Amino acid sequence: MNSQVLSVFDELLRSPRAIAERSRAGGDLRALFVASLAALVLGAGVFGATLATSRGGLQLLYSGVKLPLAMVATMLLVVPAFHAIAAGLGRPLSFSGMIGLTLAAAGRGALVLVALSPLTWLCFDRGLSYHPGVLLAVACYGLAGVAALDLVLKGVGFDARGFAIVSLFAAVLFATGGQTAWMLRPFLGRPSEPTVPFFRHRESSFWDAVQQSSLSMFGVYRVSQALSEGAGREVSQEPGPRTENGNESR
Amino acid sequence: MEQSFPAIVSVSQPSLGARLTSPESQGAAQEFARLGAGLGLAALYGLALGARSGGVALVQHALGASAGLAAVGVLGIPALFVLLALVNAPVSPSAMFSAGSRALASAGFVLAGLAPSAALLAVTIESPEAAAFVTRGGLTLAGGIGLFQLTSAVRAMLKDLPPESRMKCTALLFGFSLFAIVLAARVWYSLPILQGAA
Repeated sequence: MNSQVLSVFDELLRSPRAIAERSRAGGDLRALFVASLAALVLGAGVFGATLATSRGGLQLLYSGVKLPLAMVATMLLVVPAFHAIAAGLGRPLSFSGMIGLTLAAAGRGALVLVALSPLTWLCFDRGLSYHPGVLLAVACYGLAGVAALDLVLKGVGFDARGFAIVSLFAAVLFATGGQTAWMLRPFLGRPSEPTVPFFRHRESSFWDAVQQSSLSMFGVYRVSQALSEGAGREVSQEPGPRTENGNESR
Repeated sequence: MEQSFPAIVSVSQPSLGARLTSPESQGAAQEFARLGAGLGLAALYGLALGARSGGVALVQHALGASAGLAAVGVLGIPALFVLLALVNAPVSPSAMFSAGSRALASAGFVLAGLAPSAALLAVTIESPEAAAFVTRGGLTLAGGIGLFQLTSAVRAMLKDLPPESRMKCTALLFGFSLFAIVLAARVWYSLPILQGAA
């Protein structure tokens, strides 16, 4: 079993087509499940801890635990949607095959995150600030996502209908995964916060956060409705000493 | 030209999704069962949305999500059959019923598949606008897949028609698609979550 699991690791990286065909065919997928889950937990754990190097301390442990948790929870939530979309567009797969395919894709993506971890650590070590750090993390997730969706595409068929299925699935995955991770934040840790919380209280949504970080990079900060007496407005800052937005945490 | 795709042979019994979306025409009882299953599955999506407010909203959303699909089935598909028959399209009531039940079952199945994600998003997103946006996304995705299934099935029935008749039928199908979108949206917009309910 152990050697099978190790060979699946290799296949996840080198032969996504073989993995996809095995998932489609069904049969005994235990080795694939175990290897993919191990890759997912390890890979996401390493990347989560790497993101937390910007803060250090307890945040390293928290992020190393929470990122795998976010990815596994997202997989559980989106597999039914993937199964339904594929069936609705004329590519029904067995549910176990669909779980195998999704898990393998997530495992592959997590291995890509491991590969990106040293670069990410170096960027934080060289003084990458908070908001660009958030966007760097989003870019890393994007790259990992492309590697994962490549495997999914090979599983559902490399043609127009396959692209349609994968695109729709990606939209569901993006919304669900983003919000799941948002609920489990912080991963980097708020710079101004003296202590490190395991969970942050519920506020806003994932999409608002991405939009706000993009604007903040250019020195544009959105003032909350309460502060602006009922009307949302935007404030532009001249480049200068950078102040972190007190309402944010990722 | 669509690429051939290997059939799944190792599964002894087809999955629920495969049975609901299978293009094979079945007896009236099976088609009614497929239709009922589709509408029931759509209600799961409604329940997920209703979890945002809880209580009566659970029932309101469950009924509303299914009602959008049911409205298209009851008001749209018979009308489409009549119009296609007027231009001598080779469609039969049973074939149209089968195509309709498969399309509604597909849409319902997709809505059910989206229900876990929808529950998470509906419950955890604070902004009513963002929650409404996510809801519209799910309904559009499922409705689009249902419409795709229906138009594909009807177009398959028309493949032997001369080009002129086929053009008329295609125009009718296009008109029907617009009608179905507006009708489903009309019903779905009665959902409290789309009216900005927190």
